[in-house]
Amino acid sequence: MGLLNVSKDVASQFENFVGVNLWTMLIAWVNLLILYLVLKKLLFKPLKNMIDSRQKEIDDMYSDAEADKASAAALKVEYEERLARASEESEQMLRSAQRRAQLKEEEILKEANDKAARTLERAEEQIEQEKKRAINDVKNQVSGLAVDIAAAVIGRDVSSAEHEDLINDFIENIGEK
Amino acid sequence: MELSVNGPKIYYRLPFDLPDSSIFTMKNLVTQTTVSLIAVTVILILVALFTTRNLKTRPGKFQVVAEKLVNMLYGLVEDTMGKHNLKFAPYIGTLFLASIFGTLIGTTQLFRSTTADLSVTAAWALVTTGMVWYNNIKNFGFKAWLKGFTEPIVVMTPMNVVSEIANPVSMAFRHFGNVAGGSVLTALIYGALGAASSLLFSWLPGVLADIPFLAAGIPAVLSIYFDLFSGFVQALVFSLLTMVYVGGACPPPEELPESRRKKKKAQ
Repeated sequence: MGLLNVSKDVASQFENFVGVNLWTMLIAWVNLLILYLVLKKLLFKPLKNMIDSRQKEIDDMYSDAEADKASAAALKVEYEERLARASEESEQMLRSAQRRAQLKEEEILKEANDKAARTLERAEEQIEQEKKRAINDVKNQVSGLAVDIAAAVIGRDVSSAEHEDLINDFIENIGEK
Repeated sequence: MELSVNGPKIYYRLPFDLPDSSIFTMKNLVTQTTVSLIAVTVILILVALFTTRNLKTRPGKFQVVAEKLVNMLYGLVEDTMGKHNLKFAPYIGTLFLASIFGTLIGTTQLFRSTTADLSVTAAWALVTTGMVWYNNIKNFGFKAWLKGFTEPIVVMTPMNVVSEIANPVSMAFRHFGNVAGGSVLTALIYGALGAASSLLFSWLPGVLADIPFLAAGIPAVLSIYFDLFSGFVQALVFSLLTMVYVGGACPPPEELPESRRKKKKAQ
């Protein structure tokens, strides 16, 4: 087939298929060195720095958020505590107001009752006095009447002084009857 | 028809005598590979300039992709070599980009793949070996490094030396072989399909008979495997091997011998 049969003039134009050329190696080294320096400075370092700085930014943001969250939680606890205290206070105030109102009510009631009782007592006393006075009046009138009647019956004047006792006995007897 | 598989084309040969043999030459100053290497360098510098032209804290789509790739690179280096070796990430990234762009530049047909030249992969493999040796001597000391070859037993010394030399050789030949083999296969397939279509369509009148109809389509699919996939895999393998070898020479600071650690801190 003559596949790998390379003629002389072709061979002079081409290098061997498997062979090492020192100059090519040298150029490969130089190119690799240049590429390394340039890519490191222009490609890998800037991109890596960008990635790292973004990572750092994200980490900072997260830690900030964490701190904010913690402080918010602390504030929440504080406010809840305060709220609980406030409601307790208001309840206490309400209770004391209620108690005071009750006391006042009782006092007023008691006073009113006392007043009423006193009034009743006075009224009863008055009634009693009136009653006594009335009885006395009746007694006096009856004794006068009796004397008049007796005088009329006897035909002479009966001194009331002399017969006071007699009349009184009589009245007493009437009262008993 | 004639199908020939050649090395890179020689553009300028030095006029005086220099060592020149079938596998080693110093005479051919400028070849296709030289041009491709410079082209890759220029392209990559332009890509870098374009990528980082307008970096923002709130990135656009393109920047997101670029950052994702850089993050993957640093993640890979950290996973393979450890956190203390992140300083190697730019070199690994450079090596990977140079390798994959060097392979893919061949698909343009304007340039020859840089990695299809043994000189290039050998140069890169030697850089890896140089880094391994330098870091071994720096971290463990020259004596300890030499002593490492006699372990676990003295009888193993020749084996260790051979394996140390085999590392760069195998790296260079693996990368070169995959890319060059891919290009040879592509050339063979083009030739075979051209021959097949000239057999099939020879009855067509005039110039139509010379058009290799079969060569349309099928090589493109194969090219996806041999150029894109294989190029990517080889770039990854080369970078990974470099990471593993150099990472082995740079253990974490706490695993270094006591005497070496103090010296490092003083620096």
